[in-house]
Amino acid sequence: MSQSAKVLIVEDESQIRRFIRAALEDEGCQVAESETLRRGLIEAGSRKPDLLILDLGLPDGDGIDLIRDLRGWSDMPVLILSARAQENDKIDALDAGADDYLTKPFSVGELRARVRALLRRRSRSGDDASPVVEFGDIHVDLSRRIVMRAGEPVHLTPLEYRLLSLLLAHPGKVLTQRTLLREVWGPSYVESSHYLRVFVGHLRQKLEHDPTQPQHLLTETGVGYRFQP
Amino acid sequence: MAYESQLKEGSQRWSPLQGVILTVLACAATTVLATPLLGYLDLANIVMLFLLTVLLVAVKLGRNQAVLASVLSVLLFDVFFVPPRFSLEVANIQYLVTFAVMLATGLLTAHLAAGLREKAQDAERRERRTEALYQVARQLAGALAVEQIDELARAFVTTQLNAHAALLLPDELRRDLLQTAGTPGVSIEIHLARMAYQTGETVRSEAVRSQGDASLYLPLNASMRTRGVLALRFDDPYFDINSETLSLLEAMASLIAVALERLHYETVAKSSEVKMLTERLRSSILSALSHDLRTPLTAMVGLADSLSLIKPPLPTVALDTAQALHEQAGRLAGLVGNLLDMARLNAGTVTLRKEWQPLEEVIGASIKLLGAALARHPVKVGLPPDLPLLEFDAVLIERVFCNLLENSAKFAPADTPIAISATRQGDWVAITVCDSGIGFPPGCTDALFDMFARAPQRSGTPGTGLGLAICKAIVEAHHGNIHAENRADIAGGCVTFRLPVGYPPIIEEEKP
Repeated sequence: MSQSAKVLIVEDESQIRRFIRAALEDEGCQVAESETLRRGLIEAGSRKPDLLILDLGLPDGDGIDLIRDLRGWSDMPVLILSARAQENDKIDALDAGADDYLTKPFSVGELRARVRALLRRRSRSGDDASPVVEFGDIHVDLSRRIVMRAGEPVHLTPLEYRLLSLLLAHPGKVLTQRTLLREVWGPSYVESSHYLRVFVGHLRQKLEHDPTQPQHLLTETGVGYRFQP
Repeated sequence: MAYESQLKEGSQRWSPLQGVILTVLACAATTVLATPLLGYLDLANIVMLFLLTVLLVAVKLGRNQAVLASVLSVLLFDVFFVPPRFSLEVANIQYLVTFAVMLATGLLTAHLAAGLREKAQDAERRERRTEALYQVARQLAGALAVEQIDELARAFVTTQLNAHAALLLPDELRRDLLQTAGTPGVSIEIHLARMAYQTGETVRSEAVRSQGDASLYLPLNASMRTRGVLALRFDDPYFDINSETLSLLEAMASLIAVALERLHYETVAKSSEVKMLTERLRSSILSALSHDLRTPLTAMVGLADSLSLIKPPLPTVALDTAQALHEQAGRLAGLVGNLLDMARLNAGTVTLRKEWQPLEEVIGASIKLLGAALARHPVKVGLPPDLPLLEFDAVLIERVFCNLLENSAKFAPADTPIAISATRQGDWVAITVCDSGIGFPPGCTDALFDMFARAPQRSGTPGTGLGLAICKAIVEAHHGNIHAENRADIAGGCVTFRLPVGYPPIIEEEKP
């Protein structure tokens, strides 16, 4: 865990800010708070935090606009807080550039796990991007396009491989169905979500220990998929 | 036809009797005019004068009068001009040829001229009708209410055909036809109207016509369905309803039908707009409520958790209390979620985001979502490999699985497995969640799916009885069904829901 990572919380409810601050300070983060979107955007610009935690239900505007503004000049990780039954909002936020989301109510444990994953990715990106990804008993060498399971080579079709490598390139990040379909199948397939589901099913058959209860290629129901290392 | 044209062209036309008188007068006048010329003109030229008269009569008065004029001309010519004059006798036998030729020419002229005249009149009449139809079409296009359409239709029929019309429209449930208000003087044979409405064909009855009832029933066929019936009563019981009249009326009927259909869709559009606004309001209230209820719950869960972060650590009792607070707040959140979902489903504000997908994915997601709640209950998933893709809203079906698994976990003893299986049953896929718990009370398995229903022997376990009701609402929103039963072999209950297979999309095989 990176020492003294700076985290900005944009949330209008003071008690929620309070426990998030407590949880993150316990992790050793420096925490800044903001009650409104407008203030949040200014703080994000002046403090340059390593992570932004953003509530989607702020009264003074649309959080998605903030993400778009932010993505104009920064690629800092953004974690969304949202109530359930707002799948569309989550998808819009993720498509606008958010990295992950938490559904209210969430436990401190979940929050810390997500924050750690996002901060880890920030510290790792850039310099030593390794072409080798390992999870469970799977070994993927992206430079040589080799996938091994417990030492045995696994045959993937070109589309399966493209889908896998896209998921592996964003560990911990939720990729929306639209994004995956557009990147793997092309823009004309963005509405054909059944392709995506069937191919994720194939990948799970080949790579997961129990395809019905996957541990690494996770479904975010109604939203998309996430690779969990 | 002749009578029909007289009705509308009365101003230019004479009655048959007047026509006869005029014809006689014309022939007499010709005789009087020609008599002084007898000394100067050849008889052949006098014949020409008579033929001219016949031609004029044919053009002005019609065929029958022209025939009369031909015969009269021959007689008058014979009596007043051919020697011996003032008798029908003929001195020179060759005049008989003259008479014959004169008569034949006269009749032929009469026929040709009258035919020409009828054609011209016909064309003129058609033009007037087309013009009238065009006018009424324009007016119908601007009609804003059924009453206006009714009025236009009646006015058209009255001016064009001298008949009376009534508009019959179906009632709201399309069970029967109702006459629009303000159609006096037309008594309807309702069974004929119904026949026209149901078959979509024009119905005529000569029998009721003689009684003075409406005798012609035209269905108002629009593109989607028959919009009503136009009934006509003709003032003159001997009025000839020929094919031209019929096609005019049918054109009129389809114009009315189109106007009615347009009005109908305008109404539909307006009411769906109102409905949309209501639903938008309802769903915004629900999401505001959802936000307002969840915010304090989120704070409660988080704050309870954050007690464990305090340094130095709190005593174990305090930490246990914090954990209990967390759990209770979590349960409350689940309850709020169920209540809000039920409110949404009941309000009909849920729009299903149906997508084709494999079942195993949503099962896996549900198991993961429940997480710790299933720690003491291993879930066995047994799906046949050839199970087709199903079309459903993943978020809602996930809720079904979560509720069923949660129920099973709650009522089955710890460390007993929960089994999820699916089978194809013809056009359905049946999905079953079975536990090894105490099962359902016999005889009231259907009532379990009612809101707030709880099995009596389960009242010791917390719950609201909403879970299964929500499952039922969701499954039924997917046009499926759900039922509960006890396992035959061992203790335990099973809930089975069935979803229609439909027409799964083809997944193109990837080229290797």
